[in-house]
Amino acid sequence: MNLYVYTLRRLLYIIPVLLGVCAIVFFLFSVVSPDPTLIMLGKHASVQQMEELRRELGLDRPWFIQYLDIVKSAFTFDFGRSWSTKQEISTMIKQGAIPSLTLSLPAFVISFVISITVSLMVAFYRGKFLDKIAVFGCVSMMSISSLAYILFGQWFFGYKLGWFEISGYDYGFPDFIPYVLLPILIWVILGLGPEVRFYRTVLLDEIYQDYVRTARAKGLGEHVILFKHVLKNALIPIITNLIISIPFLILGALLLESFFSIPGLGAMTLNAVNASDFPVIKAMTILTSVAYIIFSVITDICYTLVDPRVRLR
Amino acid sequence: MSEEKLLEIRNLQVQFNTDRGAVTAVKGVDLDVYRGKTLGIVGESGSGKSVTALSIMRLIPDPPGKIIEGHIKFKGENLLDISLSDMRKIRGNKIAMIFQEPMTSLNPVFTVGNQIMEVLDLHQSHLSKKQKIAKCIESLDLVGIPAPEKRIKEYPHQLSGGMRQRVMIAMALACEPDILIADEPTTALDVTIQAQILELMNSLKEKMGMGIIFITHDLGVVAEMCDEVAVMYCGKIIEESDVFTIFKHPMHPYTKGLMESIPSFDSTGIEAKSRLKTIEGMVPSLFDLPKGCNFQDRCSEVTDECRGIKGPPVLEDLVAGHKAACFNPLK
Repeated sequence: MNLYVYTLRRLLYIIPVLLGVCAIVFFLFSVVSPDPTLIMLGKHASVQQMEELRRELGLDRPWFIQYLDIVKSAFTFDFGRSWSTKQEISTMIKQGAIPSLTLSLPAFVISFVISITVSLMVAFYRGKFLDKIAVFGCVSMMSISSLAYILFGQWFFGYKLGWFEISGYDYGFPDFIPYVLLPILIWVILGLGPEVRFYRTVLLDEIYQDYVRTARAKGLGEHVILFKHVLKNALIPIITNLIISIPFLILGALLLESFFSIPGLGAMTLNAVNASDFPVIKAMTILTSVAYIIFSVITDICYTLVDPRVRLR
Repeated sequence: MSEEKLLEIRNLQVQFNTDRGAVTAVKGVDLDVYRGKTLGIVGESGSGKSVTALSIMRLIPDPPGKIIEGHIKFKGENLLDISLSDMRKIRGNKIAMIFQEPMTSLNPVFTVGNQIMEVLDLHQSHLSKKQKIAKCIESLDLVGIPAPEKRIKEYPHQLSGGMRQRVMIAMALACEPDILIADEPTTALDVTIQAQILELMNSLKEKMGMGIIFITHDLGVVAEMCDEVAVMYCGKIIEESDVFTIFKHPMHPYTKGLMESIPSFDSTGIEAKSRLKTIEGMVPSLFDLPKGCNFQDRCSEVTDECRGIKGPPVLEDLVAGHKAACFNPLK
């Protein structure tokens, strides 16, 4: 079977998975959750007012029509209007995506480049002083709450040194840059501990394999062994880890965006949760799921490119 | 055949630092390898035979391992003194090694051709790409792999265990080394494949005139393969001689025990009816070796002498060319 057929098949798998996601979303928002009319109108609403609102929101229709609505939105990305701002949700998402991506994309790339570089170095000097220091550093950095980094960063770099903006956002290049620098820095630092530890483990797992001993017995140098033999074998877990975290980039960073008042998708989602703005929460849930499914298919396809043992079935 | 000495190991001592303290895995091993001859190193797991082999390649994982004493002279040059980059020029080129695990010893994500080419790129860089590919195919052909020009594009998982070991041998022999170290090369293979691989190694030895160090725990294989045999126990050589003498007349009770634990056949080819003998007891822990002879607790010939009054027995010529380290050698 060739790569195209394989890809097509993997893409077709998306459909049943997506229907399942919609079923879960429907169940969570329409069956389990409290009556939205009560949330919107408060305790003292009359029955007539509630009936009217139900009709307006389309909640009086049969359940399978409501389910089909969700399914439709997953394919068309038309999520209706927000309950609190009355805006088109697709417009809100388009607006929020720009600040989110200007923060998360560079942070993601920088974070990966730094942590893979550090991990390769640490793997090269495994068991030596540098390795021990790095592991100690990683664990220490992971042990500190992310809030501490945000608050310290804002106080020290923003307030004391005055290097960065700590609140707000400007659309357009390059105006946004001063606003995203500090959150990017904090994102990178937050990710460094767990990522270096993960990549280090993956690389060391490979370094003690028999084929590495063979490579040494051939007379290869340690650099070739690490960058050719070990790295290519370690690529599978690295790719998985990397690609599967991309879908979460569209969500932005919930905490960072709200602490730095960046009007991105993360902040939008957080506001929607606070305001019980069901359509927005639903939209973000579906959007993240769709992205997740698509990127896991991409991961599968990447496997076949990296590892000859993965069969195209 | 000329008696050119390729390798001389004297007083090799290898130590490993563990959580429970330092342990000496190899304690003063002397060995010689000659061109066109096969030296067998026999012993149980943990007897130090693999560590000895890895020491020659300087592939002891460091830390925790370290060669603390001795010299390993290859054609007169002490391998323990040369720089690591000079050592790399010898590995895979002058001295090559094959391992026990053919299933995992090849890199799964590179083609067979790519992995053999790597050796040629390293050690025969003067050749053109075309010549290298030709050599690569030739070496696969030499080890009896059918349709080598197709195989070079295949990945290790597409080959059987025996084929993979053949690829390992092809890779080791690509640069026509002076010495081939084979660390239990057939242990993981089934018996028919084992016989094929052994036969292959013997014919290649003749053809290329190299010296082979053959490590095994299987005395049956030793009889088929080796010219000289060294038996190791707890990091020391306890008996050494040519293969005929040692099989005919083992002097150390341990060697005799090993031989008696091979199933035997009588002259008519029927398996002997008597129960297969085993060596009683266990190999002592390297952390807790007895005083005197390491084999005393399992030995049938043990006397007070063995228990440490005189210290451990020394490996010496008991008959010309037949060495044993035993106070009460078998007559």
